[in-house]
Amino acid sequence: MLNRRGRADTVGRVRLAGPVAGDGAPVRAGRRLVARRIGCAAIIVAAAVPLGLSVHHELQATAAFLRPASVERAAVADRQEECIYRTIRSDLPRGAAVYIDDPVHVQRLAELSTLWAVPQPGPATAQWTISLARDFHRPGDCFGLVLVVRRR
Amino acid sequence: MTELLVVIVGLGVSGFLPALAAAGPSPVTVFLAPLIGAGMTAVAAVPELGVGGSLLAWYLVVALAANGAVAAWWLTARRFPSPADPRWGWSAATVAVVLGALIIPLAALRAPMIGWDANSIWLTHALMVSGGHRELLTGLENAAYRFSNPDYPPLVPAAGALAFALFGRGDLHVATGTTVLLNACALGVVGAGIAAVGSGGRQLTRIGAAAAGAAVCLAGFAVSGPFGVDGYADLLWAAAAAGAVIWGLVLPLGTRALAVAWICAAAASLTKNEGLTTALAVLVLIAFRYRPVTLSPLRELRTAWPAAREWAERAAFVALPALPGLAWAGLIRLRGIGDNFFSSSSAQSLVTRAGATAGGMAAHLAVVPAAAAVLLAGCCFARGDRERARLGNPAWLWAACLASLAIIFGTYVAGGYEIHVWLTYSVNRTTIFAQLLLYAELAIWLVVALDGAFTRERYPVLAGSPSSAGGLPAGGCSSGPAGSRSR
Repeated sequence: MLNRRGRADTVGRVRLAGPVAGDGAPVRAGRRLVARRIGCAAIIVAAAVPLGLSVHHELQATAAFLRPASVERAAVADRQEECIYRTIRSDLPRGAAVYIDDPVHVQRLAELSTLWAVPQPGPATAQWTISLARDFHRPGDCFGLVLVVRRR
Repeated sequence: MTELLVVIVGLGVSGFLPALAAAGPSPVTVFLAPLIGAGMTAVAAVPELGVGGSLLAWYLVVALAANGAVAAWWLTARRFPSPADPRWGWSAATVAVVLGALIIPLAALRAPMIGWDANSIWLTHALMVSGGHRELLTGLENAAYRFSNPDYPPLVPAAGALAFALFGRGDLHVATGTTVLLNACALGVVGAGIAAVGSGGRQLTRIGAAAAGAAVCLAGFAVSGPFGVDGYADLLWAAAAAGAVIWGLVLPLGTRALAVAWICAAAASLTKNEGLTTALAVLVLIAFRYRPVTLSPLRELRTAWPAAREWAERAAFVALPALPGLAWAGLIRLRGIGDNFFSSSSAQSLVTRAGATAGGMAAHLAVVPAAAAVLLAGCCFARGDRERARLGNPAWLWAACLASLAIIFGTYVAGGYEIHVWLTYSVNRTTIFAQLLLYAELAIWLVVALDGAFTRERYPVLAGSPSSAGGLPAGGCSSGPAGSRSR
């Protein structure tokens, strides 16, 4: 920053505008204070803008999660999962060695079988094969998915 | 929702005395207590896997032992928590502001979302843990469950299993919701830490600090997107590790700050594998901040014994809080349980993997330029304010951030998965810690600058600074007075 005479004076590492000397300590101190406040204000703005944007982003995200269609979709997925969980427990005997013959749903079925059936890494050791099929019209379907259980 | 409140309050009750002993009667205690309770469930899962029995039985043992130890310590050392802080009104207001901010993202719990990993990993493991020793051991050793990364630490599954023990396994969402509430608690610890930066300042600074803490809590959920509210554990380890950084590397040196940092690091190490590695890095930095190395080899040689003792102390600073996480990792390796990340070698060259990883990570670190600019401006105009407030040198926070990024980068480069697919599904989550930390850095400078902007004749009085701070020396924007260097 330059002063009226086109020169700059330096205080510490901050260059301040104003006369080089002769105005006395109070004037210099006052200018330093102004520079300091400008610097601090710049920091506040530079920090507050990204923080404010992220807060705004979060508000928008929460609003999107709570849209009726989103809530309904999540609720259906939740009920579907609960339905498959219960069907596994009703259609298979406890401790059944199962092979999940369904590459799309293998993780989901393994999770929902936990503590009831024992998923097998291969078909050789399995007594049962399970998979999920899309079918909205079969009785007992879980919101469009049906658990297919086959004895080996 | 009632079930979730019961679970989180239950975790909070079991962790309250240890939290009070660690942090004292301060806002962070409210958020730390449930995190400690969840940590206790994770500690209980270690003997469940290694020795036998059920989670509930071991949890009771761990909770009683921890609370008994705190009570015994208070009785023998006669160090009861001091009566209410004279600024208890501000403490209550800070809790209200941070809690109020956290309620906004938690409203998403009304939509019962369960993410992919929440199902494949965390609910699967929670069911195993809730089944007792045999189910847990056979489940983790079963090759059919290899997809679930069986070596992952047990905090989230154990907390979920405790929820199942209380409410049955009929509603899987109760375990997912517990994870979401723990995410909020960990972020609350971060938010309370940022509020603590301005706790000793003037009214405007305190209001600004509480607001900045609340904003960082929201930023944590913002950078996590759906993964913060659908049962993923990434925000939990990231926020816990960020809490360790704020309390251990930013706030002024002190026993309570150190205790909170250690608890946060332990929680992060018990949540995910990357949480363990990051927590170890943060703990090393904390050890060096609290026990600085003297750069005088000759002097060290002359005083060999004190130097050895100092290094032993540094090692203890790292090993003690990391012990539960390391115990789990050791037990898992001992059983031969592993994951798929490094089981096969990649056909892609290291250069390809490194380039893709750097690009993928950079895309999620948009906050870096802003944080770097604020760091530069802060060092020019408010470094003295920060030093007088006895806050840690910003280099500590940036070192923790870079260490975490380096670990994540190394994992991607050395791993076996096809790199582009791997990045697509995970890099937005593995960078949460770095993003959160940089938002916290912005908030810290904001609080420091807020106090500095309205200071006329002296440096501001922020967290931990002596109330009789001296006058502002000339050129106070550039450097602090001798003897008040940040550490």
